[in-house]
Amino acid sequence: MDVRAQIVMVFNLDKCIGCHTCSISCKNIWTDRKGAEYAWWNNVETKPGIGFPKQWEDQGKYKGGFAVKNGELKLKLGGKFATLLSMFYQPNMPKLEDYYEPFDFDYSNLYNAAESDDQPVADAISQITGKRMDTISGGPNWDDDLSGSPVYAAEDLNLEDRKIIEEYGKIFMLYLPRICNHCLHAACMASCPSKAIYKRGEDGIVLIDQNVCKGWRFCTSACPYKKVYFNWHTGKSEKCIFCYPRVETGQCNACVQSCVGKIRYVGVLLYDASQVGNALIKPDADLVQAQRALILDPKDRAVQEGARANGVSDAWLKAAISSPVYTLVKEYGLALPLHPEFRTMPMTYYIPPLSPVLASKTGAYELAEHGHGTIPPIETLRVPIGYLSSLFSAGNQEIVSDVLKKLIALRQYMRQQNLGESPDEKVLRDVSLDPEAAARLHRLFAIGGFNERNVIPPQQREEHEPAGRKGGRGFGILVKPKGGI
Amino acid sequence: MLDNFIFIGLPYGALALFLFVLPYRYFSNRLTWTPFSSQFLERKTLYWGAMAWHFGIVTVLLAHLTGFLAPRLVEAIISNQAFFLALENISLGLGLLALFGSVVLLFRRATAERIKAVTRIADWLILLLLIAQAATGVYISVYVRWGYQWYHYTAVPYLYSLLTFHPQIEYVSDFPFFFKLHVAGAFLILGILPFTKLVHLLYLPVGFLKDPQILYRWNFDPKEKQG
Repeated sequence: MDVRAQIVMVFNLDKCIGCHTCSISCKNIWTDRKGAEYAWWNNVETKPGIGFPKQWEDQGKYKGGFAVKNGELKLKLGGKFATLLSMFYQPNMPKLEDYYEPFDFDYSNLYNAAESDDQPVADAISQITGKRMDTISGGPNWDDDLSGSPVYAAEDLNLEDRKIIEEYGKIFMLYLPRICNHCLHAACMASCPSKAIYKRGEDGIVLIDQNVCKGWRFCTSACPYKKVYFNWHTGKSEKCIFCYPRVETGQCNACVQSCVGKIRYVGVLLYDASQVGNALIKPDADLVQAQRALILDPKDRAVQEGARANGVSDAWLKAAISSPVYTLVKEYGLALPLHPEFRTMPMTYYIPPLSPVLASKTGAYELAEHGHGTIPPIETLRVPIGYLSSLFSAGNQEIVSDVLKKLIALRQYMRQQNLGESPDEKVLRDVSLDPEAAARLHRLFAIGGFNERNVIPPQQREEHEPAGRKGGRGFGILVKPKGGI
Repeated sequence: MLDNFIFIGLPYGALALFLFVLPYRYFSNRLTWTPFSSQFLERKTLYWGAMAWHFGIVTVLLAHLTGFLAPRLVEAIISNQAFFLALENISLGLGLLALFGSVVLLFRRATAERIKAVTRIADWLILLLLIAQAATGVYISVYVRWGYQWYHYTAVPYLYSLLTFHPQIEYVSDFPFFFKLHVAGAFLILGILPFTKLVHLLYLPVGFLKDPQILYRWNFDPKEKQG
């Protein structure tokens, strides 16, 4: 057992309203720079939809993630020899058109335009060429709310049957906020010829060392989530840094702090690093279970000792015990990894949505039977189980059904309690929950405060390297990223 | 006078720049150490340019290096006439490939709209120098026959004489004008290399061939903690 700690985010999709506030706060802090205008370390997608960049889930196109070949985990991009051969031109790299050409508007024209019969307009200006753009043909959320679109939503690879989005009564929609998953077995890292990408041992954050990165761009296609972006101005790759300057001091990530729906949870998970390789070669249907099995119980004495031996501090162990993430991911098994079949072992988790709550398929907007201990058949839920399991459990419908049943039971139980009826504990027992679990989950989902939803132990780096911290500099790139003459 | 400049002044100047500027840049500003790929912005023309150029120039450069570092080996190989002729022709082909690639890249720099946003003066300088270098190389290969034979009775001893600080330019001073141009170009490129994005060619990704796929970095030594 090799116990390591990681700081992990969970998204409660039932609560996401798709407002993009997270994206904006992230953009303002980190990527409002030349070369990164198009890069959205955090973005929110409408599902069904093609996402950002377009069709990022299509690994036939981008060759992201890993595949199992003869019992071994191999990059879909190819081996090291293939890497060397494609250094000069990389066939699978996403191109600007797969994202969008970043633009600004010429607002000065509104003031400076010559007098005329027509109202002046603010033309779109390309942030790359600086020239006027006749048409804007893409954006970071270009198919926002278009879950019924035959152009965008119908191209969603998770849809088993495209017909479903054509029927008004059956159409469904959910939002999917995405950041870098800070994977346990990151494909970007494995593909980097410069070995510039690394995972921090102490908190699991995956970073690109900008001094070591040589701009070979393999990470941009190897990451199956397309969360590594190539900065065309500096010639190097960049990605979400999990707001480490904030997290190190015990503050929340900017996207979490600004989240309007309070859908995000941040906390510590302890995991067994020695078993990651074995877990990743399991068949698709077993991947979620294998990943859950890696996550260790922080109350277990042996785990605690193993963690201490690896340098996990007492403050971190304490945080791991009260971690909302552990509660949601492992203890009650409500949060699932996004596309585990990419086999990078992503370390952000999603609670699949019930919304719109309990609408049945038989007629539009008809409420299914409610309360009084009956759990409606999962098949009658608006969002098809097949769709959710394609997103969150590599097609294993049982896992998603279990989660949804728990969520429904929780609502029924809490509803009875709130209405002053005698709550029926059997509802909970049927899905292996209990009143204590219900109370804890209810707090996390509905009324828990900021410090309940986010338990972030500070790094106390000064204790690890006091000499190195002395005279330390602030954040940011201190050398102008300008090359050559 | 011109010979002295090309065969003595230039090489030592270039060597000095290379030896002093390169470490300075490496230690002071590694943020700029990148080939500044523009594939993200334009890829159709790049494919023909970059593939042809790199595969052409890497092999031709390796041939030059092998002749210099292992003259005995090359001698043994070219003593077989069939091998010798094949090598001459393949090398000419690769030289033409590199020339074609570099011309395509120049065309791309000049025409692709988005590429202008990432073009610096150094990009034009490098491209023009490299095209000239490839062109003179091809010219020499065709008109100053046979390169594989004279190279290590003339250029190789001259290069060694440079390294031992006893430059003997008589090995090479009788060569035609284009040869001198080629030599001058080579040292010029070596000299400006540390200032430009050409530094990327000094990076060989060997480390990653043997290392584990997943790389951890700790803010403390985990082994130390165990004690």
